[in-house]
Amino acid sequence: MVGLSLGEKHFIKGGIDQNIRSDGRKRDYYRPIFVKTGVIPQANGSARVRMGATEVIASVKAELGKPSALHPDKGKVAIFVDCSAVAEPTFEGRGAEELSAELSVALERCLLGGTSGAGAGIDLTSLIVAEGKICWDLYIDSLVISSDGNLLDALGASIKAALANTAIPKVNISAAASADEQPEVDISDEEFLQFDTSAVPVIITLTQVGRHYIVDATSEEEPHMSSAVSISVNRKGHVCGLTKRGGEGLDPSVVSDMISVAQHLSELLMSRLDSEISAAEAEIGDDEES
Amino acid sequence: MEFVNPEGLRLDGRRPMEMRQLRAEIGAVARADGSAVFEMGNTKVIAAVYGPREVQNKSQLSNDQALVRCEYTMANFSTGDRKRKPKGDRRSTEISLVIRQTMEACILTHLMPRSQIDIYVQVLQADGGTRSACINAATLALADAGIPMRDLVTSCSAGYLNSTPLLDLNYLEDSAGGPDVTVGFLPKLDKVTLLQMDAKLPVDIVENVMQLAIEGCKAIATYIREVLLENTKQLEYRRGL
Repeated sequence: MVGLSLGEKHFIKGGIDQNIRSDGRKRDYYRPIFVKTGVIPQANGSARVRMGATEVIASVKAELGKPSALHPDKGKVAIFVDCSAVAEPTFEGRGAEELSAELSVALERCLLGGTSGAGAGIDLTSLIVAEGKICWDLYIDSLVISSDGNLLDALGASIKAALANTAIPKVNISAAASADEQPEVDISDEEFLQFDTSAVPVIITLTQVGRHYIVDATSEEEPHMSSAVSISVNRKGHVCGLTKRGGEGLDPSVVSDMISVAQHLSELLMSRLDSEISAAEAEIGDDEES
Repeated sequence: MEFVNPEGLRLDGRRPMEMRQLRAEIGAVARADGSAVFEMGNTKVIAAVYGPREVQNKSQLSNDQALVRCEYTMANFSTGDRKRKPKGDRRSTEISLVIRQTMEACILTHLMPRSQIDIYVQVLQADGGTRSACINAATLALADAGIPMRDLVTSCSAGYLNSTPLLDLNYLEDSAGGPDVTVGFLPKLDKVTLLQMDAKLPVDIVENVMQLAIEGCKAIATYIREVLLENTKQLEYRRGL
């Protein structure tokens, strides 16, 4: 990425102060969002989300596995993020390892709740097939193909869309199995259960530049941040996860203010994503019928 | 297992000399100097070109030509079973080398000394012929970046199963254990720049199968030319010409 001159930096900061950013948006506007689901046919669910010039693909694959001994009634979910070199030459080789790890952990924190599985946005109990023996393991893989800032929000939106597109096959367990044996499973090719995504939160990242916060920062705005807070909020307006990045300290009142701003913005983003996702799913339905 | 049934149809309903459906899109990655998405049937790859730009590693700098670098990666979800390690495995390293050598041979590197051209190819869906799709996508991306080349490089694969030469193998046909011939071809200059084959093939059949792959390359070249022409028309239109 080419460095910015002092004049450009002043321009960007001044614009944010006056509520007109360099692409014409106000501080609390998101860039245009496009969602396309079902882009990876061999996955159980997938989605491609574009926010401005940032583009990510998420895919969900479900495999049968054994639940952990600590939580015999819960399935497992693992989230991996891979930043492709296609997006940024610096992501070549192992250059993106740190960023990928940071994003994976932030997403797991926002969507999966604590180590006990409590408070997860994804209902893990719906993934159980036979308690203590067989559960579904969901592997959510995300790939960043174009990077222009605000990767975390785009990834959160793509995972939400991919989960909405996910269909988990129905499993029939043969009843004649004793308590110790692994029961035989018959994975249906015909019947599928659509995954319930009503509780999946959206992630809003607020970047503080100077005295104001902006939402959906582009890659030219991100270097100016003093700190950034990423908040995941669910449909009910409850905060599901929070991450603060950036060196500068924040006054506690500023943090509470950011949380309320994020809660307000999450309603808009949630409804926008919902309409985009249902439009994308309807498109697939039309294609299948025609 | 029958790969060509008595009526002459393959597993996916194609004829032996029929290629899969091609689809290309230029300019998919906004930040790259040139980018393209190339689909051959269910195989989908995205290529991005960054360059010519300043050489990052001064020890590799060359005073009389540009340095061409390439990285091939497969996405976690690209194959039927999840891949754990997207990059760094031996197959990816080999294919990165193959693509780099093929593209380097046709880029006019002497016009851009002391600079670096990076080609990144990412496989989004793998269903056989990923090597060929990557080379085709890289050609489009290089053209989109405006990098001078001797000719378009196109690539296609061909095989020989049930005593029939087959064009453009998909994953099932490729993993059948029969030969897989990949050809990289310069259509205008009429020269072969890449030739790879695995498994056994009788000597008198090799010529046939290679010729079939070359025909496939010529067809892809026609398609790529159409796509580039359409893209140029769009650019002219947007500039008001």
